Formats: sequence, structure tokens, C-alpha cells
Amino acid sequence: EKNKAGTMPRTIAVESPGCPPIRAFTFDVLGLVKVIESRGKQGTPKVVDRWGEPDSSKCIVAASIDDCKFHPLLAVARKGGQIELLNPLNGDLHVAINAVDNPAMEPQEHPFVGLHLFKKLRMDSCRSCTLLTCTGKGQASIRTVEVSPADSASLASHKSWIVSAAGDISCYKVDGSENYALFGGKGVEVNIWDLDQCSKIWTAKPPPKNSLGIFSPTWFTSVTFLSKDDHRKFVAGTNNHQVRLYDISAQRRPVMSLDFRETPIKAVAEDEDGNTIYVGNGSGDLASFDIRTGKLLGCFIGKCSGSIRSIARHPELPVLASCGLDSYLRIWDVKSRQLLSAVFLKQHLTATVFDSNFTDEVNPPSNEEQDAIEIQRDEEAMVPVKRKKASKDSEGHKKQKAKKKSKKIKGHVAEEP
Amino acid sequence: MGGKRKGRENKGLEGEEDNMADGGYRSSASNSGHDNVDGSNAKRQLLPSMIKNKEKRSAVHAKLKHQKKLEKRKKIKARDAAEKRALELGEEPLVRKTPRTIENTRELDETICKPDDDELFVGNDADEFSSILKQEQTPKVLITTCRFNSTRGPAFITELLSVIPNAHYYKRGTYDLKKIVEYAKKRDFTSLIVVHSNRREPAVSILHEFDGFLIDALVIIGLPDGPTAHFKLSRLVLRKDIKNHGNPTSHEPELVLNNFTTRLGHRIARLLQSLFPVEPNFRGRRVVTFHNQRDFIFFRHHRYIFETKEVKQADSKGDVAKVSKGEKKSQEKTIVRLQYVIVEVLMWQIDGLQSALIGLEKHQSLMPNKECGPRFTLKLISLQHGTFDSKGGEYEWVHKPEMDTSRRRFFL
Repeated sequence: EKNKAGTMPRTIAVESPGCPPIRAFTFDVLGLVKVIESRGKQGTPKVVDRWGEPDSSKCIVAASIDDCKFHPLLAVARKGGQIELLNPLNGDLHVAINAVDNPAMEPQEHPFVGLHLFKKLRMDSCRSCTLLTCTGKGQASIRTVEVSPADSASLASHKSWIVSAAGDISCYKVDGSENYALFGGKGVEVNIWDLDQCSKIWTAKPPPKNSLGIFSPTWFTSVTFLSKDDHRKFVAGTNNHQVRLYDISAQRRPVMSLDFRETPIKAVAEDEDGNTIYVGNGSGDLASFDIRTGKLLGCFIGKCSGSIRSIARHPELPVLASCGLDSYLRIWDVKSRQLLSAVFLKQHLTATVFDSNFTDEVNPPSNEEQDAIEIQRDEEAMVPVKRKKASKDSEGHKKQKAKKKSKKIKGHVAEEP
Repeated sequence: MGGKRKGRENKGLEGEEDNMADGGYRSSASNSGHDNVDGSNAKRQLLPSMIKNKEKRSAVHAKLKHQKKLEKRKKIKARDAAEKRALELGEEPLVRKTPRTIENTRELDETICKPDDDELFVGNDADEFSSILKQEQTPKVLITTCRFNSTRGPAFITELLSVIPNAHYYKRGTYDLKKIVEYAKKRDFTSLIVVHSNRREPAVSILHEFDGFLIDALVIIGLPDGPTAHFKLSRLVLRKDIKNHGNPTSHEPELVLNNFTTRLGHRIARLLQSLFPVEPNFRGRRVVTFHNQRDFIFFRHHRYIFETKEVKQADSKGDVAKVSKGEKKSQEKTIVRLQYVIVEVLMWQIDGLQSALIGLEKHQSLMPNKECGPRFTLKLISLQHGTFDSKGGEYEWVHKPEMDTSRRRFFL
């Protein structure tokens, strides 16, 4: 029997269809990395592992995964300025780097906001990885880290530049081709940088004053590219509950602007079809929009009561993961917008990523020796995960803090059994 | 509804089960419950809801209810007689079944704090209240109101000032709440309480007067960057309206926080705890209670006295002098005495303490306590991360109507 009255909330639980086999990582404010897996066609996700010891000074602010089949790597940026490169299969720390550039500068003053692990530069050798990091004050840098088995990191090439002298960066994203990066923040208009030349190629302009003459200050809280192949279109969410679509080949002002509820847009994620975006805000509302028309496709109803900090879209399966301040990781079905499962994780979560290489079958042990696992996670905005586990020093790429949770899916298939 | 009823006539037994699952206000529900006992008769018995004639239908329903009532009375009589007999014969009487309450049948909640959770303790150390609760900072509370009505000092505020030690009242003026937060931070306040009232009272109103405004809500902001809790306030009774009220002293009160079991509840309990000084003054015999039941937090403020059990109540009522704290007899009464309980301990020993509280209330001679200070009920509406920020705030917990789908689910 369904609702007694049309307007009352549903009182009888709908059978949840269960979760497809997935593996995801969450990162929280105590620096813990929790591994959540769901096995079988209709499994229930459970926490299978926890890496690291609870310590609030090790709060994870950003994370990035390269979930390639061989030598996957997970990069984590912590509040104190440490970057750690971890083996996503078992949480072993490969490298830990204290990535504060200026030793005189207090790490706490310039905490990382972004980290991106480049995928493309890892193919050749597994001995080094390249990371893009960004601090809140606008200091971006790309470093290559040598990951040697002796567990010592040597920083190789190191490019750094100032993204913005004034204002705080609070969101970043690296595009699919890993040539461009977006940065935006409080008082910082969204700008795109060419990573090879470290030059700014485009800056947004604020929308014209509205008819009432009300001016709302610039404050971008989340950003993502619309598709992996095209760096020219991207979506940004503001503190003023607006979702804006920008096209750099068209104009500097937003092409389309949507208003969503009343709290800041804390996370945006794109779907692979390039037309749908998922938006999460400060009061826990998650919705999907069709960006071509600007229409709200629907909200994800699942009793989420806390701000959504990170959204991750699985690259293959039609599932979406969201986590946030209510300490739950929720897995949703993309098509039906139904909650597949909610896992309680006890701490405020800051990021989540998927491991897309996960399968249920028993595979011959993979030998991801992630020496040089530099996982580039461009698109996956690694949801800052507080990983407690061996943090590989992933140099935080200063990516525009994408509020989106990248569904980084890790492919640790081999290990699982 | 009508359609369903018609359909049910044809279904017979299934119809009755449908009835049962349906609303309780349906007379058929009770009937079907009754009918299911002898399922074989179900098809033949006429459900009251099937009768179209209202008078006849209500008569049949009334008769059924009366029958049920008589049966229940008979059962109770039989049970009491059996117990009495068993006691006389010296046997063990039958154990009474525990009644099923909403608290008993509360939905299993995975967010309930567990005693062996290291993450919980580390989280506590790292949260915004730990410096106050570890006594590195003394609580200093700033109380203010919402705009436009702080002209005449309201009674509620003065009572709050007497309840919370080291509390200061500042008139609101027209300052922005964010500016007030900045001001309070500069002056080293640890919490900010905003008493919010919006509605003007109707022409005749006795309860929660506030110079013409009804007090609606309480916003507690932890400082410097603590969370903001927004409570709805109801059932406010001022001290002057309580019969036989006592007068509070200025000793540090003991704090009792009951039943805050989930992680969210734990956090709210710590927020409330951070308003009061950590070390109570037991000699002051003053106790402030926040009792959480079904997501409503009941606030009470008492003064208690000790009394020996043998002494008759008549002497002791109101006689504060009978303090047996220092005496050896206090040993016996340690169960009744309200200790200063930290929330973590409370959770593990909740049964013991609650029974102690019940003992307190029942055995007046044991511990007559005078209620002083206001009495009110709070309900959490939202918990915001960071200080008050109506536009840019992100919520740790906000109440959404979609959460109310079960009567047995509570969040605190």
C-alpha cells in the first residue's frame, strides 16, 4: 500500500534494488580513508577497510585517484600541507611529501584546497608521478615526484605560479585532456590556465547587475568541466545558490545561469554524456539538471540532512556517490534517482572517489607497485578525502576545487578476493 | 477510500488484512484485528465499515468497542487474581509483559554512539567544544534577542541569566547577527544565545509572555567558529507561574543530559554542556536537566535537598537546612544524589541514572526538590556548520519533511 494521502511523505519503505559491485573511497576530517565495497549484483556496500589513525590535524582536504589497471595510485592532500601517495589496493604509503613550498610559511596558513594527479604522464614510467597542487591563497604548482621503493621522494620538476593574488581559491578542476585547469573562489572569478605554459587563457566576467541593482559578490564554491573532451564548456556553482554554465569560446559572461534552492552549491559533477550535471548544495539537496535546456531533471530524495561536499560519478556503472557533513556516503541510481544505499561513516566527510577497476571476480594478483603511481585525476575531482592511510604525497594539484565528487573508481580488482 | 471499501467487501479475508494495514482511525481496523483471531469467521462477520447506514454502523462499532473493553477488563482481573494467588501461595507470580512503547520500538539507528568507538573520542577532542569541556576556557555566554523588541527587559531573559552562570545580556539594537558574532569573539565569549520571537501574542494569552511577543526559538551559536543550533521553543513556563517554586542560587549547577544517544545528539549535548561551567558546586545542590525524549529536549531547573528516609516528609518540605550531604548517611543516598554526569558516561549508564531520576520524583520524602527557574521544551530544527550564516551556511543537519516517514525514528 502506498501513500495514504497524496502529499504525505512515503511511509512504507520501497525495496531498495541493491547496489552494483562498486568500490569507493571516502576521506574525512579526521584524516581517515575508508574503503567501501559492495559485492554482487545487488549487494550492500560495507566498509571493508580503514586506513590511518584518527587525527584531526591530518584532515584530508583533497584527493585524486588514477585508477588505471596497473599501478593505480591514490593521492591525498592533508590539512597540514602533507601530500601522500597511497596504494589504493591496500593503503600502503608510497611516498609522503611535505609540500609546503616556502619553509618559512606556516602550512596552516595556506592549506591545500586542491590536488590533482595526472594520469597521462604516468604511462611511461611508474617511477614518477605528476601532481598539481593549489593552496587557498592561490599558489599553484606542478611537481613531479619520484617514487622510489625506498620510500623517499625526490621532487623533480617543479613549476609554480600564482593563480590569483587576491582572494581565496576554493574550487578547481583539471580537464579531461589534462592540459587546462580551472580555478575559482571567493572574490576570484573563474579562470582557465594552460598547464603547459602556466598561462591564463581566459577569465570569466560577472553577470550583469540584475534589474534591482543588487550586486552579489563573486564567490565560486564548485566547478567542473562539462565533458572530458571539451575544455571550453564548464559549469560553476556559486555561494549564492546559482549554477552557471560558461563557454569560453562564446563569451566571458555566463551563458546560462540557474538558481537552485537557497544554500551554496557545494559540489557539481558532470555526467559522461556531457549533458547532465549533478548539483549538491549546503543543505543536502542533490539534483540533476539538463544543461542544454537548463531544466531540473529531478531531485535525489534520500533523507540527506547535511551539506554535500563531494559527488562522484562512476565512469561505467550508472551510479552516483555523494558524501558530506551528515557523515553518510550515499549511493544513488542515476536514472531513477533512487537511493541504493547509505553507509554511515561517523565523521564529516570531505571527499569521495570511485575505484572503477573493481570487479567481483578473483583475479590474479595485480602487481601494482605503485612506485610511480601518479595518478592523474583530472576529471575526477578527487573528493578531498581524508585518508588516513598512508598518504602518498600527492601533491595537491591545485585544481579548481571541484565540488564534484569524482567518481573515481578504482580498479583494484585483483586484490579484492 | 470509498472505492477501497467496496473492493474489500469482495475480498473477505484479504479485505480484513487490508483493513488492518490501513489507518487506525478506521473502525474496521480494530474489527479486523478482532476478526483475525478466528479467521474462519472472518468472511461471515460483517465489518462495521461495510454498513452504509451511519446510525447502524456507529451502533455496531460502539458495541464492538464495548465488548473489547469488557474482555480487557476481565483479562486484567484474572491476571491480578492470579498474581495475588501466586503471592499467597508463595510462588512466583507470572512476569508481567512489558508494554510496547515508542521508545521501546525505536527504529534501529546506526548513528548511535558506541562505547568503544575511538573515532568518537578523537572527534570529541577535535571538536569546537573540547577546549571548554577540558577546562581550558571558561564559558561566557552572551544573550540577546531578535530585533525590534528588546525595549522592555523580558522575564524570560532574566530567568535565563539566573540559570546560566556567567551570562550577559546585551540589547540587540539593529546589529547584524554576524557583527554580533564578531563582537562576541573579540570579547572572548564562548557562546551566543539569541532568543527569537516573532509573533505578537493574541489578545488573551497566559503562556510564554514576552511583552507581547511569544518566544519561538532559540539560536545557540558556539564561538569562535562553533556550530549554530537552531531550536524551536515551546511550552515555556516562567518561574512565577510555577507553584511552590524555589529560588536559584548562583552556585555552579550540576548538569544532567539524558538520552542523547546518536552522534548528532551527542554533539548537541556537548553544545549544551559548553554553556555551563564544567565543575559543578555540589554544595549548591542545584541541577539543570536537559532530557531528550523523542527529539524533544525538556529543560528543567531544580534545587534539591537530601533527606533521610526515615524522617517524615512534613518536616522536610521546603526546609533547606536538612542537608545530609556531609553526613555518613549520604553513603546510602548516593544513588539518589544527582551526580555530575558527563554525556559519555550517561550513555552507558543511562538505565541506572534514569531509574534514579524516577526514584527522585516518586519519593518526595527522599528528596524534595524545588523547581526553580523556567521550564521549556526545545526541538532541534537545524545544526549549521560554522557560525550563523543565513546565506552561505552549510548544514550538518537540517530537518526535512522526508525524514518524518516513520513514527519510530528519532535523530537525537
